[in-house]
Amino acid sequence: MSYIKGVGMSKFDVSQKASYERVYECVNEALDSGNVSLDDIDAIFISTSEAESNGERQKHAGPMVSSMFQKKIPILSVPAGCCGGGAALWDAINFQKVNNARNVLAIGFEKLVANISEKVTDEMLRGGERIYEQAEGMIFPAQNALVAQQYMMKYNVTSDDLALVALKNHENAFDNPKARFYKKKVTLDMIKKSPIVASPLRLFDCSIPCNGAAAVIISRDKTDIEIAGSSLSTSKLSSFEREDLTSWSSTIHAAKNAYNQSGTTAKDIDIAEIHDAFTSVELISYDDLGFCSKGEGAKLIREGKVNINGYLPTNTSGGLKAKGHPISATGISQIYELVLQLRNQAGKRQVDNIKYALAHNIGGAGCVTTVHILRKAQ
Amino acid sequence: MIIRWVSEDGKRKWIYPIKRDIYTKGKIVKQVSKKANVIGITKVNIPSPMHPIIPYYVLLLEDEHGNRIPKKVMREYKIGGNYEIKPATTDDAVIITKIKYDVYEYLKESMELLHSYSISPEDKILIKPSIIEPTYPYRAVTTNPELLNALITYLKEKEVKDIVVAEQAMLGNDTMASAKKAGVLDVCKKHEIPFIDLAKSEYLEKTYDNFNFRIAREILERKIINMPVMKTNSQIIISGAMENMLRVVDEDTQKGMFEKDINKTLPKLIKTLPEFLTIGDATIGLQGNGPTLLGEPAFLNMLFLSKDPVALDAVFAESGILTIPQYVKIASLLDVGNCDTKKIEIVGDELEAIKCSLKPAEKNATAHTKIKLIDGNANPYTYNTALKMTAKLVGLLGDEVNLVIGSLITKEMLQKKNRLVAYGKDAIEQLKKLRVKAIAEIPENMDDTEKVMLLKSILQSPNKKEITVADKLKSKVASFGMKIKKKF
Repeated sequence: MSYIKGVGMSKFDVSQKASYERVYECVNEALDSGNVSLDDIDAIFISTSEAESNGERQKHAGPMVSSMFQKKIPILSVPAGCCGGGAALWDAINFQKVNNARNVLAIGFEKLVANISEKVTDEMLRGGERIYEQAEGMIFPAQNALVAQQYMMKYNVTSDDLALVALKNHENAFDNPKARFYKKKVTLDMIKKSPIVASPLRLFDCSIPCNGAAAVIISRDKTDIEIAGSSLSTSKLSSFEREDLTSWSSTIHAAKNAYNQSGTTAKDIDIAEIHDAFTSVELISYDDLGFCSKGEGAKLIREGKVNINGYLPTNTSGGLKAKGHPISATGISQIYELVLQLRNQAGKRQVDNIKYALAHNIGGAGCVTTVHILRKAQ
Repeated sequence: MIIRWVSEDGKRKWIYPIKRDIYTKGKIVKQVSKKANVIGITKVNIPSPMHPIIPYYVLLLEDEHGNRIPKKVMREYKIGGNYEIKPATTDDAVIITKIKYDVYEYLKESMELLHSYSISPEDKILIKPSIIEPTYPYRAVTTNPELLNALITYLKEKEVKDIVVAEQAMLGNDTMASAKKAGVLDVCKKHEIPFIDLAKSEYLEKTYDNFNFRIAREILERKIINMPVMKTNSQIIISGAMENMLRVVDEDTQKGMFEKDINKTLPKLIKTLPEFLTIGDATIGLQGNGPTLLGEPAFLNMLFLSKDPVALDAVFAESGILTIPQYVKIASLLDVGNCDTKKIEIVGDELEAIKCSLKPAEKNATAHTKIKLIDGNANPYTYNTALKMTAKLVGLLGDEVNLVIGSLITKEMLQKKNRLVAYGKDAIEQLKKLRVKAIAEIPENMDDTEKVMLLKSILQSPNKKEITVADKLKSKVASFGMKIKKKF
């Protein structure tokens, strides 16, 4: 069994701190919150997309971390696009279990916003399939727009439903001091009037790129938070190849495994951090994670059931939409939020009576997904 | 066109051209559809380096097998509508095709889109690739052997028995060594097809507008398929369909064409040649300071086909957001072809949809950042050897030197230019005519080491006004030393 000791996270923003500074900062917080010394860490799993556009020209993240922490332990880099954080965590958990390691550190970091937007868009475009998608202008908003359009046509979902997802996540981020949109008021009118990025998706349907880092310490020592389920599943690189455009099989498989491992079902989940890279992805994920029947995701948002005061609060951190989406840091930042919630440390965003918390992290347009289920230990 | 590679039992499909089903070890069947329905559309408003022009649309297309692909277009479509590429209806049409992994299949489709072009088994085909210097194919300086292989395979399927591949390297380079390194000889060997060094051809004289072209006999006696690499070019903006035919004439003709202004003589050469098909190889393509190794791969993954070399070059230039070269415009005036891209029929991918800025070639670039060319239409030999000379000095510090080449140097070109070195007979004579003094005069036929040593002495001596006896002696000693070294 694996447990969570400490968590740490830098503020998600566009400040130009060097990557090592952010990593140092969030690891320091994780060590402090878990009352762990760096000497007691047995292995490190790290994820970053090793962007070329940010001016750091620093590949080989593992040895960089070795230099920072002066460690000779196994340090492995696990890039997996936007699912990098989730994948690093999944690896860390497996390593911990197989080796009965005492403490394993998982880190995700990214310095993404450090160049003109065309270059950053291009950097992200490289996550798509190169011959069919990149060459045909399928930037990520376009990929997701085409999927969203199919989902909307099939299940009578409207842009107004998407706007409600954006509004909910912005309202949550308003109270998250580490969120990119902390204390920034966003109204439904602003969302609905925002420019179209790739029809039908508007600017406020898209997550916000930013810089950031997050860390989590996994341990064999029993703590107040148990990792009850940890699953990773993959699918084809390009979304257009998949049988059902309106459902992402990697989420369905990863969720099914995580529920089985934890002996839970979707009904047991009290709070979730969902990969809302686009508002449409959050809606589709309600279906794929089993929170509702297929095609009924929009009902959850319309009826307020996923709001912070609903029966299944989702993205209390603000999600990728409003907390921010620094690619490889995102998956671990979801764990950070859930740990705060499980430890009653989430301040104004605190949700009461949580036992099971779910984190859902996607890479690409549904091509690699992790689902983690955390349980408050008895 | 939508292609999938499907397992025999139909259970698995790949977008990649795999050879065997890795599960069953069974055969793979290629599923090819030419028609599709539009099942989704998004209008994209964000520019990116590969897609700078907005808005554009991405269609989601689905064929009768349920296979889907995204397709970038600039025109509006409706969900439920059809998407189909119709064959060309005019002779100057340009076929633009983005290759999706399978070079052969996309070449075949492109060939079949041409207007009134056919291949018959009796045809005597000459494929004219671009092999200007000895470089590996990944540098995109020479025609991609994979594309050459695809074309020969296609021709053989059409039962053509008489096929040759013919080219001569840029003057100053060895053709056979270049063809070997470019991987072209391997393709010829695989298909048991002869490779002809056009530099050793018998030449036949043809005259147009008082200019005598000595043209390789094979070019005049065979059906030509021109297969240039699509590139940027420091001398003439781009190398493509027209420029590739420069090397079907002998050395003296090539030199004469530059002396008389290549922008004017190249269109005349094309006018003199029999009609030919061009398959523009942009499988990689070259950008920056081409056409030689100073350029860099552009990773375009495209083909440009046309029976009109002028139209093809104009379309390529515009697709790379480059200026249409003067020789292309002059060719159009001579009625060699059409350079008005608004009037050229584009088939396949839309021109607006593939537009993406290529790095243009700098007019004065050399391998050394401090040595600049002042190019008065130097012939390929002088140009090539000048670049080679500068390449030997890369890494050495020094003060700016202007290497003057070619016969069409004007006073204006030399304005505010200091530290001139005249390289080659043409430039030496022209500077004398203009009464401009150069620090040094280096003839083309001087020993290579001597040339480099002289240029080096100028580069490294900012106050040098002229070459001294000591400089000359030093360069001769270095040359002698090099010869001894080579001998032993």
